[in-house]
Amino acid sequence: MDEAALIRAAQAGDQDAFERLVRSYDQPVLRLAMNLLRSSEDAYDIYQEAFLRVYRNLDSFRFDCSFHTWLYRIVTNLCLDHLRKKKVRRTEPAVVETEDGPMDRMDSVPEHRADGDPQRRLLSAELRGKIEEVLKAMTARERMVFEMRHYQGMRLRAIGDVLGTTEEAAKNCLFRATQKMRSALGEFLP
Amino acid sequence: MTCEEARESLMLLSYGELTFDQEETLELHLAECPSCAAERLRMERLEEMLALGEAEPPPGLLARCRRDLAVKIEDENRPMRRFSPRRLWRDWFVYTPLWLRPVGAMLMLAIGFVGAQFVPAGSLAGLGGGAAAEPVMSRVRFVSPDESGRVRVVMEETRQREFTGYMNDHRIRQALLAAASDPADPGLRVESMELLKNQGQQDDVKQALLNALRADVNSGVRLKALEGLKPYSREPEVRTVLAQVLLNDDNPGVRTQAIDLLIQSNEPEVAGILQQLLEREDNSYVRTRSQRALAEMKASVGTF
Repeated sequence: MDEAALIRAAQAGDQDAFERLVRSYDQPVLRLAMNLLRSSEDAYDIYQEAFLRVYRNLDSFRFDCSFHTWLYRIVTNLCLDHLRKKKVRRTEPAVVETEDGPMDRMDSVPEHRADGDPQRRLLSAELRGKIEEVLKAMTARERMVFEMRHYQGMRLRAIGDVLGTTEEAAKNCLFRATQKMRSALGEFLP
Repeated sequence: MTCEEARESLMLLSYGELTFDQEETLELHLAECPSCAAERLRMERLEEMLALGEAEPPPGLLARCRRDLAVKIEDENRPMRRFSPRRLWRDWFVYTPLWLRPVGAMLMLAIGFVGAQFVPAGSLAGLGGGAAAEPVMSRVRFVSPDESGRVRVVMEETRQREFTGYMNDHRIRQALLAAASDPADPGLRVESMELLKNQGQQDDVKQALLNALRADVNSGVRLKALEGLKPYSREPEVRTVLAQVLLNDDNPGVRTQAIDLLIQSNEPEVAGILQQLLEREDNSYVRTRSQRALAEMKASVGTF
């Protein structure tokens, strides 16, 4: 069943179709929320609220835009609200309880090319801390655009559509965000 | 192309946003300008470094999100999907909406007024003669004439009764066990299971948890039952039901939880169950979880 058929079936009340629709998008949605909010509990809240809103409002989806754009508008609006409300970010404990037992949050960040070399590991940790610092210093919109481009691989036009702005405005926002990142990470660059 | 234009294009190049022609123009400039070529290397390095900043959701978070969303959606559906006399009674008669109360009062007054016109005077004298609890709903179930010419009427009356007590109170437990298997109200079953799940040391409760896990149509109820059975996952009867659930339950959240409980038991049979599951499982998360559990047990993912 293609996506449009799946959406129509879900609109007609087919629960399985709705579940399949959720499952085809929920991993990137969770990753986006996780990257933007840097908190698994906040990402959980965004996931629940976003898909409940989709469920409640699916009838009003009229195929004027892609389902991806519609869904991401919901998700990004929720995340933007969240980021704006939470100017003062609460710090999460370093170790969280998961279904697999206690886990260090930093373990969820991939260790690229760090190998077993302690010096490289230290450098990676330092770099990661710096990236996080710069992300926090960005405005909510810059951060949103930056995350969608870098960690979701979305095109500028799609980002513009999701944020209700032009491709040009999304590009300018991304330039500013990348410039901030580049300046802050200058010492690590060749 | 100027160096300033080239720097802007370099960013777009790294985003994959340049057209073929724009990319060609940029490449020509980079071939002749060492400073912009060095900037390209820096941009590429920046892209590589940014990969370090990506946060992965912790293991199990996606499964938890899916499971809880399914329960919430089921809750959303409940009033529309299934007609429940109990809910109808509770929502419209026991907890009547405030806006409806004056309307109801006026209606009852009007009915009383009109009804009184048709009832002979004095015939109501014997009614209401001191019944302790007032019926909240009544209807005639049966009528039959007597030999003496009198008529026998059997009324069915529903009364509300309230009692409170602790979980160790036998009456409370029995009421919760009855509510936990009420087919008309999944919400009531979830709430009852929530209360019963820590009482699994009682045989009747454990049996109710097992029955719910095996047969309840509502995945929220089944998940609550699974929570309650956690401390008993090593018991053979519980393991048998967990294996059945793992292979037959249609909810991936329930299957995932069943895997987690089964592997706690460290029984060799679990590897066989997981291998059997992998032959039919199409949910990627459940597959990954099973494969990881098999790897931890040092068992192969397939049967030979």
